[in-house]
Amino acid sequence: MAASIRTLALRTFCDSTRNIQHVSRSRVKHSCCPAWVTVCRGYSDGTEGKSTHFGFETVPEEEKAERVYKVFESVAGKYDVMNDAMSLGIHRLWKDSLLHVMNPQPGLRLLDTAGGTGDISFRFLEYTRSMHERQQRQKARSSQTPSWRDLADHYATNQTGLPPSRAVVCDINKEMLKVGKQRAEKAGISTGLSWVVGDAEELPFDDDQFDIYTIAFGIRNVTHIEQVLQEAVRVLKPGGRFLCLEFSKVSNPVLARLYDAYSFQMIPVLGEVIAGDWKSYQYLVESIRKFPDQETFKEMIEDAGFFCVQYFNLTGGIVSIHSGFKL
Amino acid sequence: MSQHALRRLITGVFNVQRSETYRSALRVGSCVKINKRCRSDEVKGSEEFDVSILEFLVCPLSKKQLRYDEKSNELINEELGIAYPIIDGIPNMIPQDARMIQKMETSKNPSES
Repeated sequence: MAASIRTLALRTFCDSTRNIQHVSRSRVKHSCCPAWVTVCRGYSDGTEGKSTHFGFETVPEEEKAERVYKVFESVAGKYDVMNDAMSLGIHRLWKDSLLHVMNPQPGLRLLDTAGGTGDISFRFLEYTRSMHERQQRQKARSSQTPSWRDLADHYATNQTGLPPSRAVVCDINKEMLKVGKQRAEKAGISTGLSWVVGDAEELPFDDDQFDIYTIAFGIRNVTHIEQVLQEAVRVLKPGGRFLCLEFSKVSNPVLARLYDAYSFQMIPVLGEVIAGDWKSYQYLVESIRKFPDQETFKEMIEDAGFFCVQYFNLTGGIVSIHSGFKL
Repeated sequence: MSQHALRRLITGVFNVQRSETYRSALRVGSCVKINKRCRSDEVKGSEEFDVSILEFLVCPLSKKQLRYDEKSNELINEELGIAYPIIDGIPNMIPQDARMIQKMETSKNPSES
């Protein structure tokens, strides 16, 4: 076990130095030190194409999307079970917190990108439904003797009983959506829920259509984060809200060490035992480390054109919710 | 006492026999019913496409409106001549998975971003 930790540490160290040298190579075209050049040449793959990270690996950009697709295709069946096992059920609290931050009023339209198995959308519909019921009860309580006009309005508008809150779940992976659809059917949630296979970097939706855009635990898997943010700006209505729930950097060093140990030791093992897939969960843990930290991501969101961007750390920074408005 | 026991035994046997035939009849009936229900449910539940999303669903490449073709169960973009398939009621809006409609003169493949 100690040996594997050491090799893993060595690998991460090598990878981090490789990244640093890659960056410095792009800045300094002709370096003076020949040794440095040969080392860089040794590390670079020599192609002109842009490359990106897939966990701690460096892969060409075209490959990343395909590999991410394969990861989620293989884990789709056990995705929800694994989430519960890895986070000890805490992911439910994180998603509930996202809904509380969102505080959606009934009658809004939600786009749940990288929605996968539909966790956020189910919660959204539940939340708006219960809020609507609470509003109805308050209205009934406050207006003890309604006038004839109120009664007439009540009969006219409350035919269906629910305002049209809609949730659209969009994911690039068909398997995840299939699992999500089965879950919805089992839970009996059908009205106001739609499923679409689509690419977050090229959304199949018209401009200014959605009140709320969420992407929960999905944005670290995309190839071009800026494009996803641009598309989010495009499809949101003016006044619409962008919400992103994602793993982030832990500030406390003690917690960070515990979290790293848990991530690299336990999670791939759980992945192997429960889902029979070590590599996918190794990718998951590595991709968390490669994602920018809270402040950097906040700047990226601001650059895309969102205003009043803020973030809320949950569980000591393991997860953070970024929020921005399109004005 | 023995007569009573014998009578009870015989009625018990008859009851069992009767319930057996009842149960088997029920099973057959329910099987038929369940089969029918499953088949109709499958046809209705999974293949039903919710046309109301066409309000805001557009082609990811040209951002133009789509036409729903019931016969081939696809969403058609007339301008670019591509058709997006609908599988199990879920439209697949990935350009690489779209089908080219043959009658377009310019045979340009839908490119990815």
